[in-house]
Amino acid sequence: MFVRWMLVLAACLALPWSAMAATEIEISAPGEQSIPLALTQFLPAQGPQAARVAAEINEVLDADLDLSGLFRFVSPAAFLDDAGRISLLSNQVNFPQWRMLGAETLIKGTYSVAGEQLVVEARLFDVVNRRLLTGRRYVGEVKDVRRMAHAFADLVLEALTGEEGPFSSRIAYISNLTGHPELWLMDVDGKRPIRLTNHRSIVLNPDFSPRGKEVLFTSYRANNPDLYRKEVYSGKEARLSYKPGLNVAGRMAPNEREIALTLSKDGNPEIYLVDISGRILKRITDNWGIDSDPSWSPDGSRIAFVSNRQGNPHIFIADIFTGKAERLTTQGKYNATPAWSPKGDRVAFSRQEGGRFDIYTIKTDGTDERRLTFGPGNSEHPRWSPDGRFLVYSLDKSGNRAIYVMRADGTGTRRLTTLESDCRHPAWSSRW
Amino acid sequence: MSVVPMQTNNAFHRDPKFGRLLLLSLIAHALIWAAFSVGWFGSGQRPKPPVYYVDLIHKPVLNPQAGRPEPRPVSKPKPEPAKSAAVPPSAPKEPAKPAVKIPPKPPEAVIPKPAPKPAVKPAAKPAPKPAAEPDRRTEQKLQSALDEIRQRQDREAERDALKDRLAKLRDSVNAAATVPADVPIGMPDGQGNEVGVSALAFVQAFIQQNWVLSPYLLDQSRIANIEAKATLVYSTSGKLVRFRIDTPSGNQQFDDSLKRAITKSDQLPQPLPKDLELVVTFNLKEIAAARR
Repeated sequence: MFVRWMLVLAACLALPWSAMAATEIEISAPGEQSIPLALTQFLPAQGPQAARVAAEINEVLDADLDLSGLFRFVSPAAFLDDAGRISLLSNQVNFPQWRMLGAETLIKGTYSVAGEQLVVEARLFDVVNRRLLTGRRYVGEVKDVRRMAHAFADLVLEALTGEEGPFSSRIAYISNLTGHPELWLMDVDGKRPIRLTNHRSIVLNPDFSPRGKEVLFTSYRANNPDLYRKEVYSGKEARLSYKPGLNVAGRMAPNEREIALTLSKDGNPEIYLVDISGRILKRITDNWGIDSDPSWSPDGSRIAFVSNRQGNPHIFIADIFTGKAERLTTQGKYNATPAWSPKGDRVAFSRQEGGRFDIYTIKTDGTDERRLTFGPGNSEHPRWSPDGRFLVYSLDKSGNRAIYVMRADGTGTRRLTTLESDCRHPAWSSRW
Repeated sequence: MSVVPMQTNNAFHRDPKFGRLLLLSLIAHALIWAAFSVGWFGSGQRPKPPVYYVDLIHKPVLNPQAGRPEPRPVSKPKPEPAKSAAVPPSAPKEPAKPAVKIPPKPPEAVIPKPAPKPAVKPAAKPAPKPAAEPDRRTEQKLQSALDEIRQRQDREAERDALKDRLAKLRDSVNAAATVPADVPIGMPDGQGNEVGVSALAFVQAFIQQNWVLSPYLLDQSRIANIEAKATLVYSTSGKLVRFRIDTPSGNQQFDDSLKRAITKSDQLPQPLPKDLELVVTFNLKEIAAARR
């Protein structure tokens, strides 16, 4: 009994002391919001080799990771001797050197060229914890060097953010470089442009299928705006919808079995659902106004579209199953080209104000509208990257219209196409 | 012979009254000790005095040299009463018009730092000139030209010495002014007798400075709610003895960034007054609030 009393007493007395031992503090924001990254020059695995390969890898990685906005590059001029050593294992890297420079992450790599074959090994290290975060060995041809670098940039983002980057995807767009508006394809950094069509007519409004293997577009090749589909790899092409009047703005549903498009076969442009052979499945809108530019929600249950049913052109959201439409935008007098984000939370669109178009985004419940571009020139046709981090759009501030890319918050604007031709209607593919 | 049986210790302890008394005594002692330690009597922990920071160096004063032992007057004891009448009118003007008095001095002092001048100059300027003029007048009558030259040489040496003193004072003023300018004053854990920054605030700022995280790394909808807790133990030397993530956020990138921040903060740049155990809550409330 006595011992029990003493234990209780001791516990009571010890309570205040144990409670006073730890002090609580709160840190409610990081000291720095960009990750210090050291990107070293890729080194030849054996002896001196094509330096152009290393330069190209570094150029791509630098551009991609810079566009991501996540990194602060540690000055290459400050690199120490570890940068000149081939060390791809974490126990070979001199981490204290990099930490001294303030780097938290480090990219190192090697390459070897044998004839046309190229082997690239790339590594991402955590400098602070002295460990390998990710790495890959890419084997291909020398002409694939940019693809390899884009793929590693995607991997870097995945290792650091948990979500792969969009740099291995492609962007389709319309360019009149040949004298006619034709469909073109390029990398996300604007390099390696390839012409996909040769209709010698008017091609417009392309969009990728969700898996990125096909492109839908409208062409006047048969003297009517008909909807076409084209396989990117094989080049096979088919006319999908050729009803009288407009067959425009075709957008494939996430399940790839339905296509929403605008048809004016009955006189007034309305939005329909057709199957992949062009057969009409359902009429989505039925209104005296013009309904156009559908964009699917990621779950395929709703579409955003433009309609002037209440006077000025505004963005509406319609339920696919009930057809019930609700107005999304209330500001401005001319809102157009909606694009539903892959995350499903926002819709990007362009709005004409003061005689020019700018890009906006808005939450799907109509709140939190944000303006992303502020002129000069017309910013139109926004489309999201597959990860929702970036937007691609067209802008005509420097004479010819060109394709630009920016981060989803409107920062980091970068021109992708040259100004020698008029480029418009960009569409961002899913990851390849 | 009668033998009185001695009471054994066992029998003594078996007395129930004694046991109860002992227990009561112990409880009473313990309660008194607890009462003192908790502060019921008010003598254990006195109310913490508020922390005031008084910048004695930058405080504008009418006559900065008042009450200060003057090194120079040794050579001029007689004319001082006349000086004291002449100095006051010039002294009050100086704090009111620091900008007016500063310009004439820079060419003399050469050093172009504006802040420390008003405090130091008034002492430097008025002293040598008025002191020298009356000396010259009286000495011209009584002493030879040779003495006058010597006096001038002394004055020049004195001016040089003053310039050196001015430079040193400015350096010390600058050093004193730069350190406390941007540090928090009056931290909750202050005892009123510290000089400089609170250790807790210092450690907090140091860890935050080492925490690198891009909000774009995270699902934007989670920014307002994401949170993790970690316990860090620092020794008096400022070394991180151990740490653990008590409550992870559930987001790999967020938790990794915390580990990097803590690892980078494994050695504080200066020692601590005592061992420190911290429970640090990491979140992004500031960023979420800024986006609203």
